[in-house]
Amino acid sequence: MRRVAVIGVGTTKFGKHERTSAELFAEAAADALVDAAIPASRIQALYYGNVVGGETEKQLHTSPQAASVLGLPSIPTTRFETACASSHAAFRHAVMEVASGASDVVMVGGAERVLNVPTADSTEYFAYASDAAWEQTIGLTFPGVFALVARAHMHKHGTTEAQMAAVAVKNHKHGALNPKAQFQKEITLETVLSSARVADPLKLYDCCPFTDGGAALVLASEEVARRSRRPIWVLGSAAASDWMLLGDKRDLSRVPATERAAAAAYRQAGKRPEDVDVVELHDCFTIAEIVATEGLGLFEPGTGGLAAEKGWTSLGGKVPVNPSGGLKAKGHPIGATGAAQICEIVTQLRAEAGPRQVEGARTGLTHTLGGNTATVLVSLFGRE
Amino acid sequence: MSDARITLQAFFEQAREGKLVGIRCAGCGALAIPPRELCPECGHRQWAPTALSGDGEITSFTVIRIAPRGHAGEAPYAIAAVRLIEGVSLLGRIVDIPFEDLAIGRKVRFRPLRIHDRTAIGFGPV
Repeated sequence: MRRVAVIGVGTTKFGKHERTSAELFAEAAADALVDAAIPASRIQALYYGNVVGGETEKQLHTSPQAASVLGLPSIPTTRFETACASSHAAFRHAVMEVASGASDVVMVGGAERVLNVPTADSTEYFAYASDAAWEQTIGLTFPGVFALVARAHMHKHGTTEAQMAAVAVKNHKHGALNPKAQFQKEITLETVLSSARVADPLKLYDCCPFTDGGAALVLASEEVARRSRRPIWVLGSAAASDWMLLGDKRDLSRVPATERAAAAAYRQAGKRPEDVDVVELHDCFTIAEIVATEGLGLFEPGTGGLAAEKGWTSLGGKVPVNPSGGLKAKGHPIGATGAAQICEIVTQLRAEAGPRQVEGARTGLTHTLGGNTATVLVSLFGRE
Repeated sequence: MSDARITLQAFFEQAREGKLVGIRCAGCGALAIPPRELCPECGHRQWAPTALSGDGEITSFTVIRIAPRGHAGEAPYAIAAVRLIEGVSLLGRIVDIPFEDLAIGRKVRFRPLRIHDRTAIGFGPV
């Protein structure tokens, strides 16, 4: 298999937009092409993530639509849907297309539009990623899924609501340094702890927002990447799944798919958790970041809450997590999130992240979780 | 495969009558909640229906305060993960137990619910 690099990245501002998801993707994609300094005609395929287009935009067949709006109507394109991990799944498959030699230059992207519908509707559509017969019938929501994870983690490890709140405070602090973040303001522990209850023990500020946005990146073979300005190498990219039903998961305090995907990605990269300098991971809820830092091997099981509380995951800490502000503050346009996380890690490894730069970062990791913890992707990146 | 196959529809038709039906692998004895084609433990495809008691204990729980559109007006409501005494787990809506009495380890019993004309899994006091 050939080496593969990311040679261009682009994201829209995250937040509310009066544009379709295809338009949001196209803006990010055109920016990624400028960043890569290659003409659009070099792109040989588009791997695309979009989740609830069928519901919020009454739009299926979103990948050729996205390619058309970008201005590349004839390239092969496929939409990936693995709930919130969609564009990271798209990325993994695109890496294989380039690594195999089938193509030399491929685009990966994703976009989502949800703020055009009321919260009760978006909550309903996101819940479609849980099981229709067993979970939707009883009114399970995504905050509800992670509330069950939180309660199990608190019971097993003594994790506290204040430790979860520390994750939100940290990610808002990082987001304040990111001009593309949905929320660019710092908050206090008290803001989180006194916010409205959503699904006990999770409160409003434990939850990431609904977000419109797009992200895109350009992948290239080693031969092409060698001629580019700042290639960032894909060291490994792995996916894992777990039982769909929460009831079938033996221990709700863990996400085994994260542990499996991470093990595979580290193996591909020849890296270990202690080699990682900067992480963008899936903090859809504060407890999700805590469990992910444990599952990725960055901290011992049960100590993820302590790590957040002690500042070990803050900029300047032992291993900075979500310098972009994460899903919590940067925002979570679900079809775009996986690609957007990679854009941030590429920016960090190029040392172009400005005030939120992790000094000297050489190895970065992205982690994206889909739905009820049944899909996880982990990828590792490195400078030359 | 076998005539004893428990479809999703069959499971919920029986659940509506208050009966929980699991399936047991003829190869290794593993217990599962239907539908399932292959045993993840041993790969066998032969399953036999087996009645589940419906008794179990809470392994995690939450109170949903913000409901999806399809459950608007029902919030707040509690949902729990319940491990049945046979060893398999189900998620269910909690009924007739005050929120403040919910706890991990609390014993509960299956109760069929009808929510918006669909059968749903519920658990109430023993």
